[in-house]
Amino acid sequence: MAIDIPTRTDQLPTSATRFIGKAVNRIEDPALVSGTVEFIDNLSLPGMLHCAILRSPHPHARITGIDVSAALELPGVEAVLTGEDVERWCDPCFTAPEGWGNYCLAVGKVRFVGEPVVAVAATSRYIAEDALELIQVEYELLAPVANPDEAMAPGAPLVFESRGTNVIQSRTYTWGEVDRVFAEADRIVTRQFRWNRVGANPTETFGCICQWDLADNSLTCRGAYQTPRFMGIGRAASLRLPANKVKIISHAQGGGFGGKGGPRGTDIAALLSRKSDGRPVKYIEDRMEYLLAGGGQSWDRYYDASLALKADGTVTGFKVRLVDDQGAGAEGYGTISAAKPLAAFTGNYRIEAAFYDLTLVATNRAPTYPYRGYGPPPHNLVLESLMDVAARELTLDPAELRRRNYIRPEQFPYTVPSGNEYDSGNYAAVLDRVLELADYKGLREAQTKARAEGRLVGIGVVSTVEPGVFDWNAYATVGVPGVGVPEGVKVAVDVFGSVTVAVGFNLQGQGQFTIAAQVVADYLGVDMNTVKVTTASTDVALPHFGQGGSRLGVAVTGAILGACEKLRQTFCRVVAHVMQTEPEQIELLDGRLQMKGAPSHGMSIAEVAGLMLSRSDLLPLGVEPCPEATFVWVSPNRNQPDDQGRCRSYLTAAAATHVVQVEIDRDTGQVKILGYYIVDDCGTRLNPANVEGQLQGGVAQGVGAALYEEYVYDPQCQPLVSTFVDYLMPTIHEVPMTVKDHIVTPSPIAPLGAKGCGEGAIHTTPAALLCAINDALAPLGLECRETPASPRRLWQLLHDKA
Amino acid sequence: MSTRQTIRLTVNGKAYEREVEPRLTLADFIRHELHLGGTHVGCEHGICGACTILIDGSSARACLTLAVQADGASITTVEGLRKRETGQLHPIQQAFVDAHGLQCGFCTPGFIMTTLELLGENPNPTDDEIKEALGGNLCRCTGYQSILDSVRLAASRINTASAA
Ligand code: FES
Ligand code: FES
Repeated sequence: MAIDIPTRTDQLPTSATRFIGKAVNRIEDPALVSGTVEFIDNLSLPGMLHCAILRSPHPHARITGIDVSAALELPGVEAVLTGEDVERWCDPCFTAPEGWGNYCLAVGKVRFVGEPVVAVAATSRYIAEDALELIQVEYELLAPVANPDEAMAPGAPLVFESRGTNVIQSRTYTWGEVDRVFAEADRIVTRQFRWNRVGANPTETFGCICQWDLADNSLTCRGAYQTPRFMGIGRAASLRLPANKVKIISHAQGGGFGGKGGPRGTDIAALLSRKSDGRPVKYIEDRMEYLLAGGGQSWDRYYDASLALKADGTVTGFKVRLVDDQGAGAEGYGTISAAKPLAAFTGNYRIEAAFYDLTLVATNRAPTYPYRGYGPPPHNLVLESLMDVAARELTLDPAELRRRNYIRPEQFPYTVPSGNEYDSGNYAAVLDRVLELADYKGLREAQTKARAEGRLVGIGVVSTVEPGVFDWNAYATVGVPGVGVPEGVKVAVDVFGSVTVAVGFNLQGQGQFTIAAQVVADYLGVDMNTVKVTTASTDVALPHFGQGGSRLGVAVTGAILGACEKLRQTFCRVVAHVMQTEPEQIELLDGRLQMKGAPSHGMSIAEVAGLMLSRSDLLPLGVEPCPEATFVWVSPNRNQPDDQGRCRSYLTAAAATHVVQVEIDRDTGQVKILGYYIVDDCGTRLNPANVEGQLQGGVAQGVGAALYEEYVYDPQCQPLVSTFVDYLMPTIHEVPMTVKDHIVTPSPIAPLGAKGCGEGAIHTTPAALLCAINDALAPLGLECRETPASPRRLWQLLHDKA
Repeated sequence: MSTRQTIRLTVNGKAYEREVEPRLTLADFIRHELHLGGTHVGCEHGICGACTILIDGSSARACLTLAVQADGASITTVEGLRKRETGQLHPIQQAFVDAHGLQCGFCTPGFIMTTLELLGENPNPTDDEIKEALGGNLCRCTGYQSILDSVRLAASRINTASAA
């Protein structure tokens, strides 16, 4: 049976969509506002113990002795776990590239401040923490490797001795005739940029409850798991269990953004359960642990980049040299962040040739993890900043320079030099609309006036492409195998006609349960509020990935459409049999299976399901009594990369242009956002309120990254940030209330024409803000090329000049 | 450990008497002793506001308060807002649903409790007053715009209802 996934909403079996495309209320919200959702720390199991972790105070040291005897004597302590146990029972975690992983607890030496060294399970968290104070660890200090320069210096101390180097990976990519376009350029602009570490910081930290079944030698993990099956496979590998003996039960998560972490905490809790005779062990990471060594540090980058241009402003080439400080190994898949820009290396522009020189380096900073966007936010900041530098040098308006270089609507599908294929777009239309929305001319006039008064007012106009619906092939270049990321669902109709959708992931905030309900309700003609969406644990779930790479809204839509289509085909056979006609004569419309041309002859979905389950005598031969269907969706038409990493990777290409107006206070260096305007195009908007929420949330994180947030380390590699007092999360005062509009260029290939839209704003906002800041500084001949452009940094820039 | 102390307090209208360790935080007490899990914990150092509750009508951080300090107090948590048995949402909760004022919802109980205090004192706040009140609550998901909308919506509905 061929299953066609509709790419347009008018292909759905409904006379008019009732839910898709509408800003319907989310089905997940009544429980969330009531405070009754079972986040992992709300759950207790009988006999449960609590874990606390003693962490390294040193960035690099050999462990010469551990004495846990006093801790073991503390009443309430049930088990203590050290590197010895871990070495006996575990393998270092899997990484890409291979061989750069740590054990879940330090074995032999510590490689970063905050690395787990000893873990305790006790009858309460309070007692477990008391026990940590009774543990003695002796260290022999080693010279830390504080940054990539130190790491790559000859004779540098090694973070992983067995590797013989601190360079995790180093290679170049050449796409097109780079040397020629640079040689023939009328103008080349070159700049260095420094993007300091930021990270996800979901409001809920990671947490889990693990239980090791000693009889069955199996493991059950409940927790704040973003990608359950992936997590299960990883645990099976690190804990030396068959994958079918690891069951992951994903709970609702208080945000994720890629940076939830969890593998170490899970392994530690699992081993403590094993050591305490199979009692369940809960580990709830606290915020200080998260900030020091959780999944929340990303993108620690040093850039050197150039653009080649013709005199008329045509951009012909783009070269990027990136040195990326991965921290102590690749356990968090931070390496992928450096590979992802290949999916949209040259942004919105017809740049014919590009070059990427990528070096991933290990240091004694904490290992880096994914963060929303997974790499393009700094990359786009570099590209867009160079566009502005070029515009200034050519005395062109930055919006005009961009417009001249946009990929044109008739050029789609468009293959970028780095290999990915953009599905559709209309970048000039996005730009026109946002310039109108912002009254760009008016903003420029106001800027001229402000400058005359000596005020530092600047405007940023930044365009980006958001690769949506990730595929593993995008990351092959850092050692990730595979093509295709399956996402499976089951759609079941019960004997009374109620519909249940089982998915492999749980709530995280993006509203995918609601999307699932909208799609299934419109397809099957039921009310979305009667649809139950539920999470299957990994032992029974279909292949799935879950949230990540701006894919789940699209992927789950595709999976549900596929399952519904299979149901429709079965239902048509059943109804045709009952009506003594051919299945081709039956159609599904608005929840009824009816005779084509004679719609009064038919049955409701509920009637068909009821019949299938209770009247086997009426079923046609070969039809099972099962009004349920599964479907595992995967992006169509993906391929293996070539030796330069080129492939069709991300399925969709959404686009946006942001216009922001800022003013810098000369006396404090503080940036004030005076106005913020967004026009985006992510194809069909399945739930416009969800899309706007994703945009605005991404803006907030972009504001944090561009202006405030930073994981600061001192020259000895000691982290100086361990609380929200030091790590400055934007509040309602810092985040602009943005003015938004959109245009719709549907994807011709994605389910219902919808494009991934979870990351576009964080791809764009940091660049827009830095461009605006540098526009404000331009009359002084100053440029800020380091993020965050914090008050201190800008004040220094202004002050040093004076 | 340290000697336990007896505390008596009212939570969401229900009286409790419990023996607790003096070092037990009020957040842990509410969450793990009374099993009211809606008061979330995001930082345990007073910055994120996820643990915001009302103590004798005033907003407080449950993570920075000890349970023994709440002896004799009357506490409201997010669980105290919706109607019992019918589950009908409080107008503030409903406004957050209708204006899409949440994504993951982990910060939401804190925002709702802060809003409850705000609208109790100032039923018709300006945007600046709303921002001032919510300035101590972090939300990593929404970017605050829909939260601002939610509070405006709640205020207007409550005002319309009380005018009627
Ligand atoms: S948990 Fe209390 S303020 Fe963050
Ligand atoms: S909704 Fe997730 S932190 Fe606010």
